Amino acid sequence: MKKIAVTGGKGGTGKSTVATALSIELSKKGRVLLLDLDVDCPNDHLILSVDLKKVKDVKIMMPKFDTNKCIKCGRCREVCMENAIVQVKGKYPIVVAEQCTGCRACKIACPADAIKEDEHVIGHIFRGKGIIEMISGRLKPGIEESSLVVNAVRKYIKPIEKDYDYIIIDTAAGTHCPVIAALLDADIGIAVTEPTPLGRHDVDLILELMERLGIKSYVLLNRSDISGKKDIEKTAKKHNTKILAEIPYSKEIMKRYSEGKPIKHESIKKIAGLL
Amino acid sequence: MKSITILSGKGGVGKSSIAASMAVLLSRKKNIVAVDCDVDASNLALVFGIGKFEKESFISTNYKAFLDREKCNSCRKCLDVCTFSAIEWDKGKNIPVINGFLCEGCGSCRLVCPQNAIELRRVKNAVIGRADTGYGFPLVSGQLKMGASGSGKVVSEVKIEAEKMGGDVMVIDAAAGIGCPVIASVLGSDYVIAVTEPSPAALSDMKRALEVVNHFGIPHGIVINKFDLNKPFSGKIIEFAMENNIPVLGKIPYSRKFVEAMVSMKPVVIYDRGFEKIFYEIAKKIEYVWV
Repeated sequence: MKKIAVTGGKGGTGKSTVATALSIELSKKGRVLLLDLDVDCPNDHLILSVDLKKVKDVKIMMPKFDTNKCIKCGRCREVCMENAIVQVKGKYPIVVAEQCTGCRACKIACPADAIKEDEHVIGHIFRGKGIIEMISGRLKPGIEESSLVVNAVRKYIKPIEKDYDYIIIDTAAGTHCPVIAALLDADIGIAVTEPTPLGRHDVDLILELMERLGIKSYVLLNRSDISGKKDIEKTAKKHNTKILAEIPYSKEIMKRYSEGKPIKHESIKKIAGLL
Repeated sequence: MKSITILSGKGGVGKSSIAASMAVLLSRKKNIVAVDCDVDASNLALVFGIGKFEKESFISTNYKAFLDREKCNSCRKCLDVCTFSAIEWDKGKNIPVINGFLCEGCGSCRLVCPQNAIELRRVKNAVIGRADTGYGFPLVSGQLKMGASGSGKVVSEVKIEAEKMGGDVMVIDAAAGIGCPVIASVLGSDYVIAVTEPSPAALSDMKRALEVVNHFGIPHGIVINKFDLNKPFSGKIIEFAMENNIPVLGKIPYSRKFVEAMVSMKPVVIYDRGFEKIFYEIAKKIEYVWV
């Protein structure tokens, strides 16, 4: 089983387009599972028209104060690094649900055993099968900790991983916690970028991140003909990798994307062949 | 100081390009500070052609856990308590290993440790840069350190720095997505401009972003970028806006000039003055926010 992450740093460079097309291509060679770990804005099911069904709620622990036991000492508020506990002097503490990450620091610190464990739904896991079998994480809007949903999906797929030859991971844009969590188990990372100063800046960051995480990385240059590619080549080289394939700007691809359909391109075949 | 936040949910739909051009136009009437709150992939400086910041300062909004191996008695309590899967067990050495990439610095492991073998240390997790854009107003930009966590808290710090610059209006370029950095950008904003484009993905993502905006009760409007790439779908976006009483502030046609402007590192209204009209109209529609 091989885990291939599709990432890129900058948003809108074509991560989901590549992840879905690559999944289709690889499904000719083996059993494929596509993981949409852009839990803030999951889209792969739209591109592949896969009907997803909710299979699991992602829950975290949330403190519930037992007012019979609470001595209003303020220790819970002190230890909460997320400032999720508010306490007016002399009153019982209150938890701000959106800010709570369920870390249990308050419960551990409470000297009066006044904190019980309640649950709080922060997102969901969806699963479905169309042309490709896929699992998708979805953060509940208003909740901050995207990476907790990513981790929940990683845990969910552990027992079924061995049933597949390829697991394709579509990550969010950026380089922060939910992207790091999505990249963690990947064997190979494909950074999709475009030849613009913004694309170069962000691919530099994501290639550095993958280097630090010990993930073998490659660059896929999308819209490769909109500008010179020298800077991207240089950036790839700096991180001991190279441009593996290129997709030139094409009206046909734009049209398929805009209609929400998967694309076909020889570069995807090339990558699938190399994996 | 008023603040207008530009977000989209989906990345790459034109947030930074639109934020830069809005800032340029608003600066002709008001004192502006452009603020890059996409702290894990900050790009606004590049749109203005800023190569180097005049002033940079490290900030520290986060903690991480560190283990003192001498004190550890291998009780494994920290391993069980970590919500972020940041602690693994080194079987050979029989000690916990804290994964710095995953540790959020919540301190649960420290609290549960009977040996006091774990301490929380502040880590420098971001840089805030300030620069003159060359267009008569400054830029404040945050950049998260590679692999650091706490992007939401960094965004809050960046906004505080921007506030210190003084001025009438902050134009905030938010990150993609709807998680902590976006929530921190939106909080306290006077208005949100949601940028989208005619594709199922972009509409779906904008709707999710607007759920966050509604959650905090912030007035907002929609800009449809590249609206002519798929006019029937743009129609669907307009329908959605009407059904929900959200004003459509502007429709920007697809143009290679956006890419050319980006490559030449200039805001599109500077690169081609032909775009001024569209952006003026957007600014005009939300005049009550910034005048």
